[in-house]
Amino acid sequence: MSENPMQNENAIHVSNLERKFGDFFAVRDVNFEVRRGEFFGYLGANGAGKSTTIRMLCGLLAPTNGTALVAGIDVAKNPNAVKRRIGYMSQKFSLYPDLPVEENLRFFAGAYGLSGKTLLHKIDSILDETGLTNHRKTITSELAGGWQQRVALGNSLLHNPEILFLDEPTAGVDPASRREFIDIVKHRVQQGATAFLTTHYLDEAEFCERVGLMASGRLVTLGSPQELKSRHVPGDFWILQTNRAQQIKKQLLNMRPSVFSAHPYGKGLRVRTVSGLFDHNSLTHFLHSFDANAICAKGSASLDDVFHTVVKEDDNTAGEK
Amino acid sequence: MNLENFSPSVRRTLAISEKETFHILRDLRALAVSFVLPIVLLVLFGYGVSFDLDKAPLAIVDLDNTPASHNLVRNLTANQEFLVEDWLKDPNDVVTSFRRSRTLGALVIPRHFSANIEKGKSTDIQLLVDGSSGTVAGSLLGSLAAFVQSESENIAYKKTLQKSRPLLKTEVTLQYNPALQSAIFFVPGLVAFVLAIVAVLLTSLTVAKEWERGNMEQLFATPVTRLEVVLGKLLPYLAIGCLQALLVLAVGMGVFDVPMVGNPLLLAFATLLFMIGMLGHGLFLSVVTRNQMLATLGAAFTTILPTILLSGFLYPISNMPRILQVLSLIFPARYFMTILRAILLKGSTFQDLWPHFIGLAAFSIIVIAGARARFVRRIA
Ligand SMILES: Nc1ncnc2c1ncn2[C@@H]1O[C@H](COP(=O)(O)OP(=O)(O)OP(=O)(O)O)[C@@H](O)[C@H]1O
Ligand SMILES: [Mg+2]
Repeated sequence: MSENPMQNENAIHVSNLERKFGDFFAVRDVNFEVRRGEFFGYLGANGAGKSTTIRMLCGLLAPTNGTALVAGIDVAKNPNAVKRRIGYMSQKFSLYPDLPVEENLRFFAGAYGLSGKTLLHKIDSILDETGLTNHRKTITSELAGGWQQRVALGNSLLHNPEILFLDEPTAGVDPASRREFIDIVKHRVQQGATAFLTTHYLDEAEFCERVGLMASGRLVTLGSPQELKSRHVPGDFWILQTNRAQQIKKQLLNMRPSVFSAHPYGKGLRVRTVSGLFDHNSLTHFLHSFDANAICAKGSASLDDVFHTVVKEDDNTAGEK
Repeated sequence: MNLENFSPSVRRTLAISEKETFHILRDLRALAVSFVLPIVLLVLFGYGVSFDLDKAPLAIVDLDNTPASHNLVRNLTANQEFLVEDWLKDPNDVVTSFRRSRTLGALVIPRHFSANIEKGKSTDIQLLVDGSSGTVAGSLLGSLAAFVQSESENIAYKKTLQKSRPLLKTEVTLQYNPALQSAIFFVPGLVAFVLAIVAVLLTSLTVAKEWERGNMEQLFATPVTRLEVVLGKLLPYLAIGCLQALLVLAVGMGVFDVPMVGNPLLLAFATLLFMIGMLGHGLFLSVVTRNQMLATLGAAFTTILPTILLSGFLYPISNMPRILQVLSLIFPARYFMTILRAILLKGSTFQDLWPHFIGLAAFSIIVIAGARARFVRRIA
């Protein structure tokens, strides 16, 4: 392996990245860094520009403006050097369904220039790492969706990439399989790799050290899940169980701006208030004046809240322009 | 094989070829069909759909009914070329026989046929041929006319035997394909046809499919280059095409007595060149369309059809309208067909055929360069 003079550099460094299709900005003025060994999440609604960003970082699409350094290399200038050092799992199905698992791996190993004993050992170790050893002879199309995704992940791990780009790798897969998939990636990250993961699943983003959130081609916020929550949805969350949700919601919303929001939650409500506005006793007292049987419990912020708040803010600001 | 000694580029190319081979071997039925089909076609063309006259059904209207006229009919059917299917009394019945497709031709021997011969007077024998039978009509007319000609010479010869030898005797010699067997013409055509089909397979089953499925994007995230993709995909299909061409030639030579007068190496070289052109053409189409259906249709229209229609396979180029003659110059099938026939039947050399080789090479270079240029690595 060649020594890497950029050892302490960021794994990914993006500045003013832009991609236009005609007059349409799929990605606009995006700036961020991903540290080496970081598990980085990239969130956004459909069409937000996640795939477009990732494809520019992998040298599959030329930016119309800005630069992207991946593993210290300018992707636009030297895409091939970047390709040797990254693993990419595209959002589209990318396996050969008529071939057995083993032959899919064999092909991609060859495409990365492996051969002979190295190749055979590598395939064995990847099958082991992804838990596919018992499926090595199975025709890929006969595997369940979650297992197929593991084959695709295996393909992108064959050459021990420094940086892994995973574009919605777990879309449409059941929660248990998703968890196992993420664990394989996490294990690689523990061994020193960097992971860049796009996802629709907010629970998946909770695992990430830092999360970037995209909306309409822009990176609207970035930080650890904890930072994002305290930045965008500060305050206390309460879960209320009551039969008089409608009435209580109205009363609570009368207390704005001390109460930020009150949304239906199961049969009751989920409420966000200014930090310290209520404690358990005072809130129970308040509730009992409307419903003697009401119960309350402390809740917590989720990335879902962040996502909705941020996207709404983004829509509002977009509307003002 | 120890691939570790090769450069990474060769290794990657071979990895693509290997995967392509796996795909081919996965679908053994398609592979078997691709080998059996040309042989079936060859046998069909060689035996059945033949332009040769073998037991062509005739109607005879013998108005003379003498030993001399009987003798004429016996001579006519002696060599199996013709078969008397209908004996008719009235020349007007010939049309009915044609209409019922019972016979393809008729010979009307007039009254006084034998009397006229005795007197040394000339006699008109009427030949009728069913023109709707196309190509067969032509060869039937030719053969019948030749037969009547040679009979009349024989009769004249016998009559003058005592005095002198006949003054004139026409002898037609067909150079290169003495028996005018169709198989000998068809084998070169079929070789080209089979290779054209392989080219369509390549486009429809492999390259366009990878675009459609999104495999190409994944492939481009690896260090594989466009030239490696192009070459890696061509190699296994080139091998299959060459095997099929060999098979067709072997069956043609073994079963239909197709000769190999010229240099087999020159033939192999021409085949390789044609094959590269065909595959490159298919590749070009799938790179441009990125769609299996479009690529397959396009390939069928621009490789298989010209190979059948514009190459001289079925219809001689010299008989075509001027526009089609010019059009045929674009397609490599024409050059290949000329080269194959010339080498197989006439023993032509490279000196004789070089302009056709240039035609083949030019086509290959243009399509492969085109495919590579359109093979935009950045999937924008
Ligand atoms: N090749 C292209 N030509 C034109 N427009 C494109 C192209 N690729 C993407 N777009 C547009 O750019 C926008 C961003 O697309 P992108 O695929 O990056 O979104 P995404 O965040 O990955 O969405 P999803 O969650 O659906 O995968 C979309 O509106 C899309 O229609
Ligand atoms: Mg996407």
